[in-house]
Amino acid sequence: MTNSFKLVFSNFRYLVVAVAIFKAMLIPLSLVSEFLFFEPFIIWYIAPDRIVSFALILAVSSLSGIVISMNIYRIRLLTVKTRKIGGSILGSLIGASAGACSCGPIGFTVITTFGTAGSIATAFLTDYEIPLRLASIAILVIVLFTTTRSLSIECKIKN
Amino acid sequence: MKQRQLIVTGVIIAFGIALLVSATSYWNEFLVMQENRIKPMEYSTAIGSPILGSETATVTILEYGDYQCEMCKHWFHNTRSQIIENYVDSGKANLYFMDIPFLGRDSAKAANASYCAEEQGMYWEYHSMLYEHQEGIDSGWASPERLKSFAFSLGLDSDQFSECVDLQKYKQRVKLNSDKSVSQGVQSTPYFVITNSDGEQQKISGAQPYSVFRQVIESML
Repeated sequence: MTNSFKLVFSNFRYLVVAVAIFKAMLIPLSLVSEFLFFEPFIIWYIAPDRIVSFALILAVSSLSGIVISMNIYRIRLLTVKTRKIGGSILGSLIGASAGACSCGPIGFTVITTFGTAGSIATAFLTDYEIPLRLASIAILVIVLFTTTRSLSIECKIKN
Repeated sequence: MKQRQLIVTGVIIAFGIALLVSATSYWNEFLVMQENRIKPMEYSTAIGSPILGSETATVTILEYGDYQCEMCKHWFHNTRSQIIENYVDSGKANLYFMDIPFLGRDSAKAANASYCAEEQGMYWEYHSMLYEHQEGIDSGWASPERLKSFAFSLGLDSDQFSECVDLQKYKQRVKLNSDKSVSQGVQSTPYFVITNSDGEQQKISGAQPYSVFRQVIESML
């Protein structure tokens, strides 16, 4: 696993991609989950009773950055067709949609647009925020494991 | 293989739509906030909650909330008590609550029950009781039976309260509160409008920490 990490992230471009994906996930997720506020001042606030929720967001964002950039590496440099990127995007999506706070403007828009169906959907995403994020992390970890294994096999073959 | 590609494409499209919806709603909220900043709006509390604190306080905090909103509960537990202790109890600020029960079918029932408690002079005690016992949206925590049991715990007259809950006596008042809130551009909960006796107005969206409220209130005293 360490070799695969070294192989991909020794290339500075993929490190930049990973950090960019991490930030692109962390900032919107922090915004919709009400950890980050822009009005009336910019403030990042993690209440003591919401530390677990923030830790899960951090984990989903970090894993998404790592897994997606590793799969981009496989597609571009090893010119392999990979289905794993689908798994990593699915994992990221589940993590992103879980707990997209139904009290916020997104929930309000969904509920006022779709009525009862929207209310049920947002209630599900809110009530099962932690299990859904854990499922997302599990998917990303599996994809990470299979990607690193595939990378070491493919690189041996190419060598 | 093709089926899997179709699923992945579908998921990506769905995510794109969700992203677009979120971006649009945030943009709308931003525009409303900008507009409100330029033109302070008149906020009526006539049909909302009773006042908490001194009527002559310099600063008025108007909270828009839903009893099933998880973020409102977080604000209740992490920020509200400090505001009450430092500003409401000292007579510098007072607090009102306006219902915007949009999250589930039990939201409006809980709001109605809060006014049933008001009939017996226990609005704020019942309000706190609801946030203390909040669970998942429409999970049954705010069913009529539970709402009645909360009233019983507070020592309210059970018959009077039960009749009020069963008849949904304040349904229209709750709806008026909600309609008024939406017409004023409130699109999320908790949402706060803070005004002072000079007519200055500041808005805070979300369950923000006490430090933000302190800074805003101090600047308006």
